[in-house]
Amino acid sequence: MKISLRWLEEYVDVPTSDPIEVEAVFASLGHEVEGYEVLEVPFSKVVVGRVIEIEKHADADRLRFCRVDLGEDELQEIVCGAWNFEVGDVVPVSVPGAVLAGGLEVGVRAIRGVTSHGMICSAAELGLGEDQAGIMVLDPSTPIGSDFADQVPLPDVVFDVSITPNRPDAMSVVGLAREFAAYYQTEVRMPEAEPATVDRPSAVGVTIEDVIGCPRYVGREVDGVRIGPSPLWMQQRLRASDVRPINNVVDITNYVLLELGQPLHGFDLDKVADEKIIVRRARAGETLTTLDGVERDLDVLDLMICDGESIVAFAGIMGGEQSEVTDATSRVLIEAAHFHPPSVMFSSKRHALRTEASARFERGVDPNLCALAAARAAHLMVELAGGEAFADVKDVYPSIIAPWQVDLEVEEIERILGIPFAAETVAELLVRLGMKVEGSSPLRVTVPTNRPDLTRSVDLIEEVARLYGYDRFPETLRTGPSGGLSNAQKRDRRIREIMVGLGLHEAQTMSFLGQSELDAMNLPDHDPRRAAIRVRKPLREEEAFLRSTLLPNLLKAVQYNVSHGMPDVGLFEVGKAFLAEPDSEDPRIPHQPTHLAFAMVGRSGPGGLHASLRPTDAYTATGVVRALLEALGLRAEIRQVASDGFHPGRSAEVYMGEQLIGVAGELHPAVGRAFGLEGRAPLPSSIWRVWWQTATGGNSRHPAHIRGWSSTWRSSSTSRPRRKVSFDRHRVLQGIGSKKSSCLMSSAEVLWVKARRAWHCV
Amino acid sequence: MESLDQLLIQASARIDEADDLEILASLESELVGKKSFIASTRRGLGRLPSEERPIVGAQVHEVQTRLQQLIDDRRAVLQREAEDRLLEQDRVDVTIEGYEPPVGMHHLLTQTVDEVVDIFTSLGYRVASGPEVELGWYNFDALNTPPTHPSRLESDTLYVEYGDSSDEMLLRTHTSPMQARYMEKHDPPVYVVVPGRTFRADALDATHSPVFFQIEGLAVDEDITFGDLKGTLAHFAREFFGSERKIRLLPHFFPFTEPSAEMHVSCFACDGSGCRVCSGSGWIELMGCGMVDPNVLEAVGYDPQRLSGFAFGMGAERIAMVRHGVNHIKHFYENDLRVLRQFS
Ligand SMILES: [Zn+2]
Repeated sequence: MKISLRWLEEYVDVPTSDPIEVEAVFASLGHEVEGYEVLEVPFSKVVVGRVIEIEKHADADRLRFCRVDLGEDELQEIVCGAWNFEVGDVVPVSVPGAVLAGGLEVGVRAIRGVTSHGMICSAAELGLGEDQAGIMVLDPSTPIGSDFADQVPLPDVVFDVSITPNRPDAMSVVGLAREFAAYYQTEVRMPEAEPATVDRPSAVGVTIEDVIGCPRYVGREVDGVRIGPSPLWMQQRLRASDVRPINNVVDITNYVLLELGQPLHGFDLDKVADEKIIVRRARAGETLTTLDGVERDLDVLDLMICDGESIVAFAGIMGGEQSEVTDATSRVLIEAAHFHPPSVMFSSKRHALRTEASARFERGVDPNLCALAAARAAHLMVELAGGEAFADVKDVYPSIIAPWQVDLEVEEIERILGIPFAAETVAELLVRLGMKVEGSSPLRVTVPTNRPDLTRSVDLIEEVARLYGYDRFPETLRTGPSGGLSNAQKRDRRIREIMVGLGLHEAQTMSFLGQSELDAMNLPDHDPRRAAIRVRKPLREEEAFLRSTLLPNLLKAVQYNVSHGMPDVGLFEVGKAFLAEPDSEDPRIPHQPTHLAFAMVGRSGPGGLHASLRPTDAYTATGVVRALLEALGLRAEIRQVASDGFHPGRSAEVYMGEQLIGVAGELHPAVGRAFGLEGRAPLPSSIWRVWWQTATGGNSRHPAHIRGWSSTWRSSSTSRPRRKVSFDRHRVLQGIGSKKSSCLMSSAEVLWVKARRAWHCV
Repeated sequence: MESLDQLLIQASARIDEADDLEILASLESELVGKKSFIASTRRGLGRLPSEERPIVGAQVHEVQTRLQQLIDDRRAVLQREAEDRLLEQDRVDVTIEGYEPPVGMHHLLTQTVDEVVDIFTSLGYRVASGPEVELGWYNFDALNTPPTHPSRLESDTLYVEYGDSSDEMLLRTHTSPMQARYMEKHDPPVYVVVPGRTFRADALDATHSPVFFQIEGLAVDEDITFGDLKGTLAHFAREFFGSERKIRLLPHFFPFTEPSAEMHVSCFACDGSGCRVCSGSGWIELMGCGMVDPNVLEAVGYDPQRLSGFAFGMGAERIAMVRHGVNHIKHFYENDLRVLRQFS
């Protein structure tokens, strides 16, 4: 909320006017300042004058020639184009040498042959509002000849303070004044709320049909108001808080909302049928046209304010058009009520209607503030709108919400905060925050009803810490008994290290997929990846699903780089995929396996002058897979399989035993085209389920002892027994090794392939 | 024998003059080979009187040994010179790029997360990770978030269509659900950090992304205090941003901690005097933290009368952006190689 420092200072002494110091006080109390604006008087040399004579300009129909009393011996002669003032009105006059808002310099000017010594000013010209049609007509009691700047509550500083949701009490100027008073150990000056009253009985009747939704309703009648603009100072304060001034009565209700934090509504009492107020839930099929001109279909859970005939307002959120205060209003009914926070919150969300009032009610306004706020508004209507306030206040409050008690053990404070506090210190801190404290062990603390956030002893400990100052606690360090990564985390780190070592770059892509990306993967309808989990209300089409595979987003990242002039790309990602099947550990949630995926395009291999960059293809994919397996010490078999979404003749499946752990090969060219990589195939890619455990801790390897043997190389040829059996380096090694018992077979290399039938190994 | 002395003088001059290995080889054969004067003298020794034989024999041996030594020395010089010439011919410009094995890079986010995690594992913290699609219970209820809290609204939280409609299934909005899951499975004391992806219904802008990384920390033990929270975060700040860093905590509000705070670190760019990095304030907002709310401990069956704890959660993008001056969160998810390669 935006708050003017001058306004705050009306209720509490702030010993500094340095915005940085004030900001620091706000911050140390837990009210973060998002920013502040220093407001200066936007004009100079503007004097208060009275219009003595008005003549028509001889040569221009639209201009008037005025003589204005500025408190000097001679009258000032000024030509003016505005028509909204009469002889006798008090107006702001800029004299020659004045500078107006926006930098306009005022001088002596000839206008159509008549000399004008200055200007009579509009609010817009003075930087005090948007109204530029007419000049500002001031309060007739304003001293003639005085500096108009004295009438403007400037300079000022406006702070934009972010109030946390647990502190509805701080969403007002007085509420923040209480915080400052606690900080500076001083008192709050409450605004005057004792209007002069008339003793006639008020005919207004108030009935609450739903006491859960509305525990209290105060209706207060003020008759004989004269609708007009509110005073300049009030308009300035409303504007500083981003509230547009409308008329004195409406401005007063808004002003008191900002001042005390109690949302008010002003009804034109003559338009309230039977002068009756009924608070009830809406009935099916009812509608209400709110002040913003929107007709709203109501829900049976929406809480309504009704008169003798129909609905007149949306409780706690917004008034209706029909009973709104207009220029013709003379009798006002001030509503100051307490509404159940969840009720206001749900209605406000359901109708997407958020107002200053609903923002406060949904967090919880002090139920015992209603009468005071109504009195304050009545007081201002008497003073500023010439009204007559009724002493007969309709206050329906069936079960009073009283302050509550919380017990606080002083030792508990040390256990949580780390330093000992004396009972007297704690009591003093809590009293400064408006609480009553009795006893010593435990302290019996009475919490005022404006602090719904304080119900447990730990809430009070927080208040002690906050006011004592977080800065004053020492820094101590505790360490845990033993730390470290889990085996799965070590495995994932290792995989990333190896992939980086193999020359691929790590990517982080979004966890979402769109329908078009899923379709683009060329998967058959029965593929489980097609049954991706849907996001209920995605913000964008490409966030409609949770990724069931990491490849599509990786391909998009590849395409991004290619389209930005980088033809050789190798990216990998280790992350979670989401499958629509129950998780094995917690069957309530879906299975979220960690996957590894990589995608490459262009060329790969060593770079530089004598580089051997070669076009990537299926062998690049299987090569990376083999290197990764080797580095991880994993024994897996690569089988030639036409895998879905991949090139039918250039893809493989990776098996550990009979467990399929991944796919590698060239993507199907159609997939490449779908991702904007046409003409750039092959796209060697791979997807892996990362689930195995790498060797750690008790998982020992039993290495063969290498004595003084020398290694020898031997070539051998072997033929594929059946077409379906894949080449398996380990099997070949075992075959050779079994013939020489004293031999440790360590590595094999394919020298050449003959008619895809035989492998030759050394 | 005078002729032997003469030979030695003449021969050593000739050996010195020999300027390639072939000339030296023929010279060797001439001087000490089978047909050399030395060889014939040695063969003629038998014809000498027996009393001269040992004297002349010794002389011949000495001259032969010295000649051979001179030849060997000269050969070594010539061989070295020959090799030097060859090496000179082999010269290449090693300052130009030759043959470079490909090098990949870790993503800046992973680097950041790993670095933070390592700081805490060295303080004795375990590392846990949890599900990204989570039950509303763990994301909100177990963390003392009231049913009416606005963060539960679809305008803030992404819900997904899975399972029984009675279970609220959502993308976790923070890593904090793992607090409850971890405490359900482990007995106290608990010292754990939880890095992982988190999600919000945010459109992408400079500082928001629907996907982002969080690192959560949780310590629950007997007598864990607010001072321990301050000390732990101060230790982290000094390890991550440099030993001169100071921290401050300002009161804040989170449903799952009480007291709650926002942690700020003194600006590493200006040392607190105010600059662009810290928007002139000298402090940089880094994370939310606080003492674990007793309701959270109770929800997982821990006794809040006996145990206390603190928790903190930071955005990995945020701390990486602050540290490296990255100005838009999209750089983390575009995977532009030109960006990734800068963070080696
Ligand atoms: Zn700085």
